[in-house]
Amino acid sequence: MIAYLRSLSRRFFQRAQVGTELEEELRAHVDLRADALERSGISRAEAERRARIEFGSLERFKAECRDALGGNFIDQLLQDIRFSARSLRKSPAFFAVAVITLASGIGATVTAFSVVNSVLLRPFGFSHPQRLLWIYSQRVDNPRTNFSLPEYCDYPDQNRSFEALGAVASFNVGLSDSVEPERVQGVRITANAFTILGARALLGRTLIPADDRNGAEPVVMISYGLWSRRYAKNPDVIGRSVNVNGEPRQIIGVLPSSFALPNLDTDIVVPLQPESDPRRNARNSVNFLRMFGGLKPNVTAQQAHAELDSIRQNLQRQYPEALTGKIGLTLLPIADEIVSNVRSVLLSIFCAAAALLLVGCTNLAGIALSRSGARQRELAVRAALGATRRQLARLLLAESAILAVTGGALGVLIEIASQRALLRLVPTDLPRIESFAIDWRVWLFAGVVVLIATLICGIAPAWLLSRTELRDALASRNRASTGGGQSRLRAWLVGGQIALALVLLANAALLFRSFFRVSSERPGFDAANVVTVRFSLPQSGYVEREQFVRFYENLYPRLKALPGIQNVGLVSILPLAPKSISFIHFTRPDQPPSNPQNTPSTNYRIVSADYFRTMGIPLLAGRYFTDEDDGERPPVAIVSSVLAKNHFADRSPIGQRVLIDDNDAGPRPVEIVGIVGAVKQTTLETPARPDLYLPLRQAHKDGLSFLRNSTYWVLKASPNAPLSASQLRTEIHRVDPNVAVGDLRPMSNVMNSALASRRFSLLLIGSFAGAALFLAAAGLYAVISYGIQQRTREIGVRLALGATRGRILAMIFKEGALLLGAGVAVGLALALMLAQLVANQMYGVSERDASSFALVSLLLAVVSLLACWFASRRALNVDPVTALRCE
Amino acid sequence: MSDETAELLPGTLDLLILKAVSLGPLHGYAVLARIEQISGGKLLVEQGALYPALFRLVRQGLLKPEWGTSDNNRRAKFYELTARGRKRLREEADWWNRTVAAVTAALRARPQET
Repeated sequence: MIAYLRSLSRRFFQRAQVGTELEEELRAHVDLRADALERSGISRAEAERRARIEFGSLERFKAECRDALGGNFIDQLLQDIRFSARSLRKSPAFFAVAVITLASGIGATVTAFSVVNSVLLRPFGFSHPQRLLWIYSQRVDNPRTNFSLPEYCDYPDQNRSFEALGAVASFNVGLSDSVEPERVQGVRITANAFTILGARALLGRTLIPADDRNGAEPVVMISYGLWSRRYAKNPDVIGRSVNVNGEPRQIIGVLPSSFALPNLDTDIVVPLQPESDPRRNARNSVNFLRMFGGLKPNVTAQQAHAELDSIRQNLQRQYPEALTGKIGLTLLPIADEIVSNVRSVLLSIFCAAAALLLVGCTNLAGIALSRSGARQRELAVRAALGATRRQLARLLLAESAILAVTGGALGVLIEIASQRALLRLVPTDLPRIESFAIDWRVWLFAGVVVLIATLICGIAPAWLLSRTELRDALASRNRASTGGGQSRLRAWLVGGQIALALVLLANAALLFRSFFRVSSERPGFDAANVVTVRFSLPQSGYVEREQFVRFYENLYPRLKALPGIQNVGLVSILPLAPKSISFIHFTRPDQPPSNPQNTPSTNYRIVSADYFRTMGIPLLAGRYFTDEDDGERPPVAIVSSVLAKNHFADRSPIGQRVLIDDNDAGPRPVEIVGIVGAVKQTTLETPARPDLYLPLRQAHKDGLSFLRNSTYWVLKASPNAPLSASQLRTEIHRVDPNVAVGDLRPMSNVMNSALASRRFSLLLIGSFAGAALFLAAAGLYAVISYGIQQRTREIGVRLALGATRGRILAMIFKEGALLLGAGVAVGLALALMLAQLVANQMYGVSERDASSFALVSLLLAVVSLLACWFASRRALNVDPVTALRCE
Repeated sequence: MSDETAELLPGTLDLLILKAVSLGPLHGYAVLARIEQISGGKLLVEQGALYPALFRLVRQGLLKPEWGTSDNNRRAKFYELTARGRKRLREEADWWNRTVAAVTAALRARPQET
């Protein structure tokens, strides 16, 4: 076998040499013969002429010699390819159509795959991702909430299922060094995390347990993205000092690009240091931690869940008040949790692309079929000249291979060229997309796709070839002898295209309706001409409320005085910020909950007096906050209509007092002074939850640490106000140069990103569906007009015998309608079967929405019948006399 | 579409080439001349058809090709019989003689002798 391969390769690489040697040898022969003839007394020129004639065709014997060398698989392949290329060159239109169809199909599929690969398939930067679990605290109304620090500290001591348990908290960071201060998003994580996760540093080192200890050197790791963006991948950053929220920390390592945690941005990673944290023993302190752990060998996730839950129940008995509302634990495999939100979207985009490719391939198979019908005589001649059926089939496959490879190469080129545009188009919250790369998996996939496309496009004509009697084709003067097999096969193919197109269209229609529903959801605020900017205050200098208030009072008039600014407000968390969670528990003193588990919770926002006016959040009852609501006055709150409706159904909440649990010391009373409209705080799809707002001037000290790391200014400008980020930055830095300022973002942009994921999949699947519709219609057109062409004579006879053109038309439309009906029926069945897979992407519309299905069926029918009509115009123009004379 | 000449007289061209070359290394044209000579001019081989046969024999390891110079100073490829080729020549010649003898005997047969 190896010897055979070696000889094959030798032959292949020495082909050129063998060719010239052969040439030389045969020439020598002719010359020697000429010498002999010359000796017999003929002139040299005549001798050479005769010698050449006697020898016969040089080319033919050369070919035979090559054959005699044997085993020329590669030669034959090259010959097939040369030959097919020649025959394709003769029909450039077919070639162009085929290559464009395949290139777009393969391009779409490979592009979709490259995103799937980057997000779902590429290994996570963990050593045993299947043994890593992500752990949330479960509440009545939310399965994914956080733990408090003392709570976390109790679990590792008692657990036996995990090698170790770590904890992580999101961390809003103002970053500054020699470069301009920047606001980034990071995590604080226990230093055992990298041992648990089995993640390594790309550069430098990871956190080690010593970094957790009291008095350890303050250190920080940075993400691959931050390293590339801010430090231009300079390896010298290791060991540099950088200010993190005003505190100098040494950069010890760069995280690999594959590093990601569920629902957390990790631009910055700092050690959590639980033991030195002031909240270490504050049982009532804020819930801000998520836990994770690596299972011990031979422990299942269920066992681990059961064990942790029994620990939780013990804790609950010990600290019933602190653990109010917590009813369980949610344990999830870490990799699933990272990509859970996007998996079904990405997979359905990928399937849509693959379906489009399939439609394209079937379409080409149809065209190739009619080509091979037309070429029947050519093939028959070849067969008569000694080509075997196998050789002919190989020829047809070689043709489709050329098409698929050319189309594939073009498709991959498109993929690479559109990478930049693609990365702009994908929703920015797509996990792991920042390290998008076209790696070997993508190449392998592209190769497999090309192979499959070759087979689909080439198999049908080759199969047909195996069923036709080539000798008949040669004998018959009539091209119609290509027969029923071909027409039936083509009809099947077109039916399949219609079915697939219907599935794609139905999905696109459902996505469109969902998108429309979501985008017409009212967020509860008026985004028009509102811009926002997020910033972090330095750690030092912002501890007491007065310091915050002073900063606000200094900056507010400056911002208000900018040209075109109508209103300026401040808020701790902007609406539609899906990753930020801040909620508290509250109780009505007159209705204490029967069971501590049932203590209601509400979103919790600290706002300035002008926030509601700036955002256009309507006042429904009572009053807005004023500047008089400060530390000297009794604490007040504003609630949303949802809170009022859910918890004050019996009376107006205005003037009522509630106990809010927003500080480590325990619940404190605030008086409700106003009701405002409900606001969608997390996503447009999630129904508005209760909101409770507190005025900045009365914020509790315990809430300020949060405010320090993340505050949004919102500015309402008049249309066309000349507002720039640098202008804002200048004003902010005039008040305090150490403030890290984030990007200026129009509120409409925030709205848009809330729709980004839907827009992305709608755009892609919609265009795939459109392309599939076009291809299916083109396929139908081709099969109908081919049928008419085949039956020109029959139509002529019918017309001559007195059939009206209407009847001819009816005959043709019947054929089209039959195909359409079958295709639509299969497509509908398929779409209904697959509906469950896209159910979680639907909003406000059932995944089996009958009107959508009916609508796309109608669309498909109209387009198909149009195609039939265009095709049938030829039939109507048949002149009976000409048609009959043709024969 | 293999060699038609060989089909006319199956195996004979190979045999004749082996025989011709057995008397000493020859280039292609000389092989033809030698066959013509030793057959007394009775067997004519189509010139071009010789080469596929030569290549086939080389591939079977019966002949060994080598470039050299002809009598009148032309560069040409000389073919030499290998040990295997010599053995094959003997076998083929035996086979041919037996076949010819058998066919001849068969053709001599008369009705009464059967």
